[in-house]
This record gives sequence, structure tokens and C-alpha cells, in this order.
Amino acid sequence: MLVFTRRRRQSIRIGDGIEVQVLRVGRDGVRLGVVAPPEVPVHRQEVYEQIREANRTAAGSPQDVSLVARRLGRACE
Amino acid sequence: MSHIPNTGSAAVPLDAAAEATRAPEVITFPKGLPGFETCRAFVLIAPQGETIVQCLRSVEGPAASFLVIDPRRAMAGYRCELSNADRERLQASTDGPLLWLSLVTLEENGTIVVNLRAPVVINPTTMLGAQVIPHHCLYPLRHVLVSAE
Repeated sequence: MLVFTRRRRQSIRIGDGIEVQVLRVGRDGVRLGVVAPPEVPVHRQEVYEQIREANRTAAGSPQDVSLVARRLGRACE
Repeated sequence: MSHIPNTGSAAVPLDAAAEATRAPEVITFPKGLPGFETCRAFVLIAPQGETIVQCLRSVEGPAASFLVIDPRRAMAGYRCELSNADRERLQASTDGPLLWLSLVTLEENGTIVVNLRAPVVINPTTMLGAQVIPHHCLYPLRHVLVSAE
């Protein structure tokens, strides 16, 4: 892992189009600004991890279309 | 800006998913799905006579299968905007139709939950798909549709 020391308003650049700037340094956290090309999604890591976990649970659950449909049908009526 | 319109020319009818599955064409997910990054090709299967729940199944790489429903069935008025980044990934025009799907989980105790936070969006024109994480539509990751019996 590359490690940098940056102060407020300083940035790092990743590749051609990604810039990460330190906007504010507080006691509890660092506020960052990210500029990235439109095709690059930017997310908090923990959000991505929650979705990965939810996907694994979804794929691991019984793929019983008719059972789910029957119960949903009742619920949606 | 793109969203799920309830009316208008860009609206995807509720049965569009069924329409799209008559021939199970392969949908390419260039980045897979979170947790299933190596699953790049999926088909959407609607069991005969089934209109609510469909199956999104990986046809390349590791086996993976998800039950999916239209998020608007799970929550009336569900409305999400596609970011420019996601629009780019799906090569979606601003007014073309998009198919929105939410992953369903049948939990061990029988509870049925749906992920409204990170929908799967498919562009039927390019047959590209992606699971998106919209910044501005904070729907629940685990929305209970049916409680345990």
C-alpha cells in the first residue's frame, strides 16, 4: 500500500482522471473530495461490503420461484 | 437524469421483464455483481406462467442464481435515479427503457426480504447489466416483504 501524508487542500492523483482531495481534517474524521471520470463509480467501502454480503445471502437462499411468488402474491393482493 | 417513470414513453411496463425472457438472451455484467465479480454473463428466466418473480442466473463462471422482482412491486412509488457513472457503464441513453430488478432473499425462517438499496439495472438495448448503488435513493438494503409464517 502506498502511504502519503497530505494536508488540507492537498490531493493525490490516481491514473489519468481520479483526484482525491483532503477537504477538512477533524478530530473524528477526514473529509475527502473525489473527482473521477463518469464511468468510475465511487462508494464508501462499507456500503459495498454490505451489498456484497446481501448478495451472498440472496444467492445462498432457496431459489424457489413458485413458493416466493405464491407468498408474495398473497402479500401484494 | 433518469429514473423509473410511472408513465411516459420511457416507462418499462411491469411485464417487460417477462417479455425480455421469451428468448433467454445473455445479459453481460462487465463487473459481475458485488461478491460475484467473476460472474459476467446472466440470463433472466421467468418460469412458465410466472409474472412476479424471475430468476437471474449466471451462465458463465461460478454458479450463481438470484430471485428478482420489480422494485415497484415491493414498494409503491419506488423511484431511483441512475448516476452518470452507471449510465455510462450500461451505455444507456437518457430516454431509453431500462429494466430495474431487486434481489429477493427467502430467509431460513421464511421471511422474504428484498434489496431496494442496490437494484440491478439492465439496458435491453445493449444487453448490459450492473448492480447499482444510487447515492440519492436511500431505500433499505433489507426490506421485509413477507414476515415469517
